[in-house]
Amino acid sequence: MSALLELRGLRKTFGRGHGALPAVRGVDLDVERGETVGVVGESGCGKTTLARMVAGLTPVTDGLISFDGSTLDGSSALRENRRRIQMVFQHPAQSLNRRMTVGAMLAEPLRLLAGVPKSETAGRIEEMLGLVGLDPAFRSRRPRQLSGGQQQRVAIARALMPDPDLVVLDEPTSSLDQSLRGRMISLLRRIQEVRGVSYLFISHDLGTVRRIADRVAVMYLGRIVEIARTRELFEDPRHPYTKALLSVAPTMDLDRVRERIILEGETPSPTDLPTGCSFQDRCPMVFERCRQEAPVLAAVGSYRSAECFAVAPTSDA
Amino acid sequence: MPAESQSGASERFVPPRIDGGATARSLVSRKPLAVVGMVILAVYIVLAAVGPFFVTDPVATDPPNALLAPSLEHPMGTDNFGRDVFARAVHSARLDLTLGILIAMCAMVIGSAVGVVAGYWGGAVDETLMRLTDIVLAFPGFVLALILVAVLGNSTLNVGIAVTAAFVPYFIRLTRAQALSERELEYVDGAKLAGNRSARVAFLHVLPNSLQPSLVTATLVAGWAILTVSGLAFLGVGIKPPTAEWGVMVSEGARDIDAGHWWTSFFPGGMIVLAAMAFHFIGDEFGGREA
Amino acid sequence: MTLLEVAGLTVGVTRSPTSILANVSFSIPAGKIVGLVGESGSGKTMAALTIMGLLPDGIEVRSGRVRMDGRQLMDPANLTLRRRSEDMAMIFQHPQAALNPTMKVGRQIARVFSLQQGSGRSEAMSQSIEMLRRVGIPGATRVAQAHPHQLSGGMCQRVMIAMALACRPRILIADEPTTALDVTIQAQIFDLIRDLVAETGAGVLFITHDLAAVAEMCDSVTVLFGGQVMEEGSRDDIFRRPQHPYTSFLLDSVQQEVDPDVVEAGVDFELVGCRFGHRCRYAWEACGEVPDLFSVGAGHRSACFLHTVGENRVGTS
Repeated sequence: MSALLELRGLRKTFGRGHGALPAVRGVDLDVERGETVGVVGESGCGKTTLARMVAGLTPVTDGLISFDGSTLDGSSALRENRRRIQMVFQHPAQSLNRRMTVGAMLAEPLRLLAGVPKSETAGRIEEMLGLVGLDPAFRSRRPRQLSGGQQQRVAIARALMPDPDLVVLDEPTSSLDQSLRGRMISLLRRIQEVRGVSYLFISHDLGTVRRIADRVAVMYLGRIVEIARTRELFEDPRHPYTKALLSVAPTMDLDRVRERIILEGETPSPTDLPTGCSFQDRCPMVFERCRQEAPVLAAVGSYRSAECFAVAPTSDA
Repeated sequence: MPAESQSGASERFVPPRIDGGATARSLVSRKPLAVVGMVILAVYIVLAAVGPFFVTDPVATDPPNALLAPSLEHPMGTDNFGRDVFARAVHSARLDLTLGILIAMCAMVIGSAVGVVAGYWGGAVDETLMRLTDIVLAFPGFVLALILVAVLGNSTLNVGIAVTAAFVPYFIRLTRAQALSERELEYVDGAKLAGNRSARVAFLHVLPNSLQPSLVTATLVAGWAILTVSGLAFLGVGIKPPTAEWGVMVSEGARDIDAGHWWTSFFPGGMIVLAAMAFHFIGDEFGGREA
Repeated sequence: MTLLEVAGLTVGVTRSPTSILANVSFSIPAGKIVGLVGESGSGKTMAALTIMGLLPDGIEVRSGRVRMDGRQLMDPANLTLRRRSEDMAMIFQHPQAALNPTMKVGRQIARVFSLQQGSGRSEAMSQSIEMLRRVGIPGATRVAQAHPHQLSGGMCQRVMIAMALACRPRILIADEPTTALDVTIQAQIFDLIRDLVAETGAGVLFITHDLAAVAEMCDSVTVLFGGQVMEEGSRDDIFRRPQHPYTSFLLDSVQQEVDPDVVEAGVDFELVGCRFGHRCRYAWEACGEVPDLFSVGAGHRSACFLHTVGENRVGTS
């Protein structure tokens, strides 16, 4: 059986001509049923654009998104799958309509997507509020009467309302205090256990991704440079960019001895990429071949791939 | 039981938001002019609502008692037909206030609906609508209303339509600008994902969130509309004598000033100024700041 | 040597009996980085604003002392800051508010060099560009010619950090300085702050909710909750031997599986007695009083009545 979500050669270019900005440059990625795939990367790496394309909010420039065996291309296919792919956004306060009550917000997807009759919405809303850890009384509140954590719980509830198969989470915890992040992760895990939903979890926070993802993809300048099972990626990163990223991420482990790899230079502008590997100017392992041809994501051992000549066993594999 | 911090307000402290430390201060000290405006407006509304039941017929003439100076019996005097100026002013309060508020509301409803279409969809629709409003805005509102009444014909209804049309572009502009920034916010994407089609997103989600500046402007426009309506009447366009209307009264009374009979035009004129000012104070003080 | 000392600081909302900071004390020695940790609403930013004399309208100092080099900074009579020391610089959480919107960022930093070191115009400008480069800004020469509104939030943050470092302050107050930044940039900024401390012996007050950043950066830590100091000690004390239930709670929420339904939000606290009382699993009658800071080790103090009954170790369960 094919994976729930399959991305093949997915591209997004904003604008045209000289100023064209390639935000996502050919991404292949699978998300299995019930799996959580984390996508990490720094600002401007294209992770949010990727998320929005999967959720159908940004049109795809090139490539394929296939969901549960059928290709999403036309807007009609997208509409059918609207119920099955939902998204949670980064800014909880901004992602809720400030003039609507929580109950009205949660009722919308039920009626518009799932076709649930009005008489049944109240019960479903109450049940959902319970699942996300909110009291039923929250139904009549408006966003400004809620704390940031509560707002994000409402946003998660709204995304789950139509009973989706995949929820795209775009930095769902980064605007929350650290002590709340742990709770949000536990909550998402519990929902996954109850509902069997898959997550595509986008974040720049390595610690958070480590705690929730089954597999992690690292993005740099619009491409996935490494993908592996979470544990393997964090314990034994292969791509030089992943290594650098992990080496500088702060940790509470006072005993950890590590060599910090501070990357030299600057992230090149996506509008003016060098020939060859896009990481070449900052890479401590760069050699001649990297300046001439671009590496592709190649298998390194089982279940993991890296986009680097220095780690992949010759790219013809 | 799953329960988050249900702020048990009695025993726990929730820090106040520090938006200007406004919480403790009353409306009077924060927005004194708005309070003045509201008091004036309240008096007007009472006058307009119940006043007409207590005063004499505003159009019944009484030539023997023409041009009496203000007295206890005639607090604002009588005009050259012997009609009680106070009675006429009270009756016209009802007409002018109703017109002003109705015009502002109609202009806001039409303008914000068109504005959200332009702002949310953008593109060619937006371009066309914006050029049209540019053309309309090129004329001073008063002149435009004058031309429209001339075209539509003299009647109270036509004055209302003409003045509304003159103010609609302001609301289009305001709502469009607000909708342009609103549509970038995540809740719009959230609404799309919840299954809303474009029209629902625009009118049920973006529009209610884009109304704040228009609501403020509507207050100002109500004042301007009263000025415009009575201004037109003063010029003899639209509402005609012997209808009791402030503009008509000022126009008629203007002839008596030379003879020293100032009250026939002074009181209705003052009522116009006060009404416009009241609306202006309220709109101005609440403008730009979310209360 | 203690550079800055804050003692018994109590700050409240005008005409409201409650205090945002209640009897808060901490000190910043030369050449050390002191962490001030807490969730949103814990009053950590208020503490910084008080020291800088930047309290907003409606917030007043009720009591306390602020001393720099043993000199009183705060007028004891009317509790206003007598004169903001030129030796202090602050990095704000929201950089846009702290930059002059009408001046090119390069000029803003150059002005600091002109004022401090009497550099000539062109020399100051090249120092300014060099400083922008040091905080990791790509295309520093170009960015120097930009106005703040033309830059992204992360970029503005780095500009402000560059400006603060250009002052070569003796006390640097950093309020969530890297919350909005990527980890590779965060690592560069952390290095810059460490360099400043190493080169000039400056003291740093590092305000954050990110415990990993604290573990990475700070020599000593003060933990705040609801405006009360919960615990203070060296970095090792706090992370290895936490004594206060709140500190343990905070560490747990980052490191371990937590119950997603547990009360969240750091914005509400008890009005009487220990402010952590309602969330504390050890709470008992004694907690209706405000606990003193009990000494629980050398330089390690914790404000909890548990320490009076010989129950010295709360542990991280």
